[in-house]
Amino acid sequence: MTRTLMNRTRLHRTRIGALAALLVLSSGCKDFLDVNENPNAPQVVSANLYLSPMLHWMTTSPQLDGRFVGRYTQQWSLSSGVTVLSTWDRMGYDPSSDNGAQQWRDVYWTLGQNLIDMMNKAEAEQRWDLLGVGHVLKAWGWQVTTDLHGEIIIKEAIDQSKFSFNYDSQEFAYQEIQRLLTKAIELLQKNDGAVDAAYLGRTDKIYNGNRDKWLKLAYGMLAMNLNHYSNKAAYKPAEVIAAVNKSLASNADDPLLTYPGTQNDDINFWGRTRGNIQTNTTGYRQTQFVVNLMNGTYTGGVVDPRMSRMLAPAPDGVYRGLDINVVGFGALAAAQQPMNFHGYVGTGGLQQKGRYIFDDKAKLAVMTYAQLQFIKAEAAYRMGDKATALAAYREGVSSHIDWVNARNNDNGQTPTQITPAEKAAYLAAPSIIPTSAAGLTLTQIMTQKYIALWGWGHNELWMDMRRYNYTDIDPASGQQVYPGFTPPTNLYPDNGGKIAQRIRPRYNSEYVWNRAGLEAIGGLALDYHTKPLWITQP
Amino acid sequence: MPALLLAPLGVGAATAQAQAAQPRTVTGRVTSEQGDPMGSVSVIIKGTSQGTMTRVDGNYTVRVAVGQILVFRLIGNAPEERTVGANDVINVTLRRVATQLDAMVVTALGQTAQVRTLGTSQQSVEGAAISETQRQNFVNALQGRVAGVEVTSSSGVPGASSSITIRGVSSISSSNQPLMIVDGLPLDNKTLNTGVLASDAPGSATAFSNRGVDFTNRAADINPDDIESLTVLKGPEASALYGIDAANGAIVITTKRGRAGTGGFEYSSSIKMESTRNTPELQRTYGLTSNAGFSYFGAPYAAGTTFYDNIDGFFRTALTQRHNLAFSGAAPENRINYRVAMSADKQEGVVPNSDYSRINLTGASQSQVNRWLRADLSMQYALANNNQAYKGDNGPLIGLLLWPQTDNAKDWLTPSGNRRRLTTAAASGEADNPYFNVGKNRINSKNSRLVTNLGLIATPFSWVNVKSNIGMDSYTNENSILRHPESVYGNTYNGVLDEANDITRNLTAQTLVNFERYDITSDLSINGLVGNQVSDFKSTTAALKGQDFLDPNFVSINNTNLRTNRTTLLQRRLVSLFSSATLNYKDYLYLTGTLRNDWTSTIPQERNSFMYPSISGSFVFTDAFPSLKQYLTGRLRGGYAEVGKDARPYAFRPSLEYKTTSYGGYGYGFTGPNLGLKPEFARSYELGTELGFFKDRLGVDVTWYRKQTKDQIVNDIRGSYATGFILFNLNGAVTRNEGWEVTMRGTPVETRMIAWDVQANFERARGKVLALPNALPESYVSDTWLFGNVRNGTAPGLSTRSLTGLFYLRNNKGDILIDPTTGLPLRSTIFIDGGYDRQPDYTIGLTNTFRHRRWTLNFLVDIRKGGDVLNATEQFLTARGLSKRTLDREKPRVIAGVLRDGKENSATPTQNTIVVIPAVQTQFYTSISEELFIEKDINWLRMRDITLRYQLPRGFLRTRDASVFVTGTDLFLITNYSGLDPIVNGNTAAVGGSGASGIDYGNFPMPRGFTFGFKVGF
Repeated sequence: MTRTLMNRTRLHRTRIGALAALLVLSSGCKDFLDVNENPNAPQVVSANLYLSPMLHWMTTSPQLDGRFVGRYTQQWSLSSGVTVLSTWDRMGYDPSSDNGAQQWRDVYWTLGQNLIDMMNKAEAEQRWDLLGVGHVLKAWGWQVTTDLHGEIIIKEAIDQSKFSFNYDSQEFAYQEIQRLLTKAIELLQKNDGAVDAAYLGRTDKIYNGNRDKWLKLAYGMLAMNLNHYSNKAAYKPAEVIAAVNKSLASNADDPLLTYPGTQNDDINFWGRTRGNIQTNTTGYRQTQFVVNLMNGTYTGGVVDPRMSRMLAPAPDGVYRGLDINVVGFGALAAAQQPMNFHGYVGTGGLQQKGRYIFDDKAKLAVMTYAQLQFIKAEAAYRMGDKATALAAYREGVSSHIDWVNARNNDNGQTPTQITPAEKAAYLAAPSIIPTSAAGLTLTQIMTQKYIALWGWGHNELWMDMRRYNYTDIDPASGQQVYPGFTPPTNLYPDNGGKIAQRIRPRYNSEYVWNRAGLEAIGGLALDYHTKPLWITQP
Repeated sequence: MPALLLAPLGVGAATAQAQAAQPRTVTGRVTSEQGDPMGSVSVIIKGTSQGTMTRVDGNYTVRVAVGQILVFRLIGNAPEERTVGANDVINVTLRRVATQLDAMVVTALGQTAQVRTLGTSQQSVEGAAISETQRQNFVNALQGRVAGVEVTSSSGVPGASSSITIRGVSSISSSNQPLMIVDGLPLDNKTLNTGVLASDAPGSATAFSNRGVDFTNRAADINPDDIESLTVLKGPEASALYGIDAANGAIVITTKRGRAGTGGFEYSSSIKMESTRNTPELQRTYGLTSNAGFSYFGAPYAAGTTFYDNIDGFFRTALTQRHNLAFSGAAPENRINYRVAMSADKQEGVVPNSDYSRINLTGASQSQVNRWLRADLSMQYALANNNQAYKGDNGPLIGLLLWPQTDNAKDWLTPSGNRRRLTTAAASGEADNPYFNVGKNRINSKNSRLVTNLGLIATPFSWVNVKSNIGMDSYTNENSILRHPESVYGNTYNGVLDEANDITRNLTAQTLVNFERYDITSDLSINGLVGNQVSDFKSTTAALKGQDFLDPNFVSINNTNLRTNRTTLLQRRLVSLFSSATLNYKDYLYLTGTLRNDWTSTIPQERNSFMYPSISGSFVFTDAFPSLKQYLTGRLRGGYAEVGKDARPYAFRPSLEYKTTSYGGYGYGFTGPNLGLKPEFARSYELGTELGFFKDRLGVDVTWYRKQTKDQIVNDIRGSYATGFILFNLNGAVTRNEGWEVTMRGTPVETRMIAWDVQANFERARGKVLALPNALPESYVSDTWLFGNVRNGTAPGLSTRSLTGLFYLRNNKGDILIDPTTGLPLRSTIFIDGGYDRQPDYTIGLTNTFRHRRWTLNFLVDIRKGGDVLNATEQFLTARGLSKRTLDREKPRVIAGVLRDGKENSATPTQNTIVVIPAVQTQFYTSISEELFIEKDINWLRMRDITLRYQLPRGFLRTRDASVFVTGTDLFLITNYSGLDPIVNGNTAAVGGSGASGIDYGNFPMPRGFTFGFKVGF
């Protein structure tokens, strides 16, 4: 009896002990389990900290896509590692690949929710300068994606609750860009609230927080946007010129990104260390087409001094380019094969100085003063204001020569500087700068703009060529606007004999996961990439 | 936190009572039915944790009171009970049983039970059978030994990771591997995921994505010689008691403890010789295409060309030596026992410069602190060092095959010590000389690990015991992965060196309160347990990448010009409460119910607690109807269980990443938010029967199961980028697994002289995807997209192990569409199903054991029927013009199909008449579809291992126990697969879902090995 009782008491104690332990557990449980906040990174940061990566990609991602756009526009072609002509050299595309859609990724992901978070915070904190920069970025994003892909997703974009997205027309995209730039222009002129150049400049390494320059860039983007309407009745060249006049005033206003080169990702995309253009499958070389624009073929023998500072010679010292219709180097002997863009044979040049923008630390631009001057020249020319056109044209050529010198100085690259004498001689050649405004041709404006954009300004360069249907004849010169440009003779099979007009939306975003949206715009057609853009149509 | 972890120990230290009795010493001997002495039989006083074990000679001594009951138990044998009476000597004969109906087995939570009480299927393997296979990684010894277990080794290189799946693949993106339990606590079986390397930072161009490199799965740190027994819990039973981490089953390992008797030591030593089994054949008719990487579409070789057999001389005969030394013993009555073991293992690979060495130090001791408290402390230290060769793309096998046969590959350096090149192609376009590759590239991994486990067993009353364990599993894993500056892999970046140090420490505390059998009525009794577990898993990986080497041959991060660093912290905590009760009606009808609640840190707090039940029953019908016993013995069993499963850490709320682009800054990672994330649930059913015939000489065990998961969390599933993100972790997949498992055991011959045991394990498993989240069209694990355009994609209606790819386009009649401009077939531009499934139709593991006097012969044959394998290596060789199938390249042909000319789907499609001559139109081969290389229905018969052992006479050289043996591993393979070895994984065991098993690209096959060794005990 006693023993049973004793047992019970002990049992009681055991039970109490167990119960107490469980209580400790349940009360501590909530805190104990609260370890799911990722300690590797924050979930929210100060508004300006979102900015640097977006600025980096605004300058850099056009280069990633430029590897492919540059082959449609025959800036370069593949030289090695190929046994057949590559798809892009034939104005095709890589099926089931994301090639040519880096900017798609940037606009929807790199900018995407980050840009929204940054703008919401900037607005709440009345940081009108940062908010204005946000609007510029937003406008830039829609501009490059619609120019590359045509119809894009805008109204429904950046919504994590949706799994199917409808596309918006390019017409809407263009209006939206204008609306955003107008808003940016308004915001960037505000000086109240928490406008703070130091705060913005902490992460804005393009303009170091200078909102006046951002304002100029907004006008520049507006000018570019409006100028794309050139084939339409709605084209208003006067508005283009007005916007150019408020935009970048000299090379000093150029939005340039410096690449610190401290690790792989902050090296210039074209730098040899990145290995993006000279590995086996990416042995890019200049085309004969671009060499001919600079070696005097169409300028009465006047050789462009920039040729030997931008392009790469062959080991024998002669500047040649690839024939896009021939596999690899074709019949060129080893000594005649153009070297890589860094100026070395094969894959050489590692840890060596490069050439022009093809260097680890060369700066790249979002847009340049020279580019805007050519836009102004084209608009004025189309307006019939040839004097303004000639002045802008001359300014464009001259400032780009300076720009080439500046780029070759970014990291002390191997090409020598273009001397003032060389520059003066070139500008004095009547085949380059006509002696009278009446002598100016569209061919001159557009080929000089092509040279100024060659290698980095892919989005605009391709838009220009599409506006002129690649091979339009300049009635004034009787020459093609792009003299010597011929589409590939062996077009990609899916093209149905047509030339490329757009890049298909990003494969792994759209062709796999948003087919319904694509179907509505005809994006599933095999020849969708040959469908002309709305903006280039009359 | 520490207080919380220690809390359960407090329960364990609960008070107890003293028991009054008059103890006396009882001795005896335990023998088998054949009269052989049986060692390691546990002799426990019923209702207590006190007892002893028999020595090797079968003798035991125990202090026990009159009236108490001694229980004699040995895994694989029927238990015997003897009530202590007047006699001081109790001899017992234990009966081996084929059906194991009455056998004792280890069950969940380290408990032991009679098979007859269990409602679900489980299967055990003795430690000796595992160590006898002489495999460094014990996981590889399990294939074929347990029905329903599939082991896939990533390659035949030492230290390669092996993945285990039980009952097929159910999760399409997460791990399908079982939980590993050692002595009651979880054992980390991680394979390093390259995702933590600085090279694999999001968006990096140098990412490995778990391809090309491999790291050991950490369970391989266990010394196979320390394993006493291993039990595989296949389904509901595992999840019911081990919870969410055991949703894919559990492997419960019991390690050895000291044996009663005076101290003794055992030493074993062996030497293994391994060689590669076969090598591919290459064409020797056509030479190199001029001025390209190694492509063989050039002119025929001139007569009299000298050829080198580069492949033959490359592989070496690899030597492995292994030493095991163990001291063990126990005080009288097993009041204190100990076992200290050391093992050294040094394995060479058949691939030059690959090796794996491991040193294990193990100590375990148990002591009876007082009458009601027993303590058990074990520690295992393992030091492993592994050098592997690359595999796949840019691996030495591909280089070996591609290297011109007209050149002596052994001459791999220039006089100045640089990579010797043969072509003018870019450095990255000419495959690495294989000797250069294994000589200069390097994958090194070192691991230092300590596993400790402290257990306290208190028996306060005869009807309850409390078992508390607290354990730490911690290791430091140092990895160094070098892509030499001159190699294909590294030259673009002038060398890439990755360093990654993973510091993992996992703490677990677990308390079980066991209630012994309580008789409700004379026919009905109940027993049960309640318990709780608290776990804290944490790993911190500090990773560094350096590229751009100054001195090309000095391997140090200090020698690099560009450096990127990255730290990855992962922490997950888990709290569980669980209970189980078994009703026993007349010892022939058992009903077990369990209830478990888990709280996890990885699910949003409002949904992070989830409870799930299980119920199972066992009906020994031949005991219920004894008249049946003249024909057979048998039982029926069935079970139903639910189990929840959580997500990865940090899965539901995106955090920002530090961006390494110009001037840094923050931005979101690839993965978007899903604040509504909830746990997934699986429901499983199983039904089975165990039958014994001819006095249990023949046993059959049949199980049918079905498991359906709902709300399955799919990691990293894609959506349109218009969401603002690229990947999401979403609930919403539904998968169903179904299968049959049959185990047959028989003893066709058993005499005093000769015995023959045979066991066959049959498995047929099916896994099917029924739905994907948000009706997305396809889900795949991107790492598996490692060759061409084939990946482990799956979609509703397809197998969980299907392959999707850019397969041939066909018209509405199924004819292949032909490009009218080239005459070559057209391929889809999106990933589609082609009817391919890597899941075998069935597998059979057949073990035979023959004993004749002192000789024992034991072998395991592994048979598989069906299941598709992508022979990517052959596609690669074909595309390079090296495969013998390209020899008819000059023969004109017309590919059967219809032209895609707009009429392909009309009533009168245009038949293709375009003549193609592959020698001219090399795209015929260079762009040949991978689809043609998915080999369907691959079967194999494989001699996994065979051991012949001779037991030396007792007392030979004054030994207590001595034997010599020879073991063969992977001796032969008969298969309809055209490649080297159909057991492959293009990734590593780190990759979730179905992974890249069955994708064979540049993978070294399992070598063939012979081991000679001896074992002595003094």
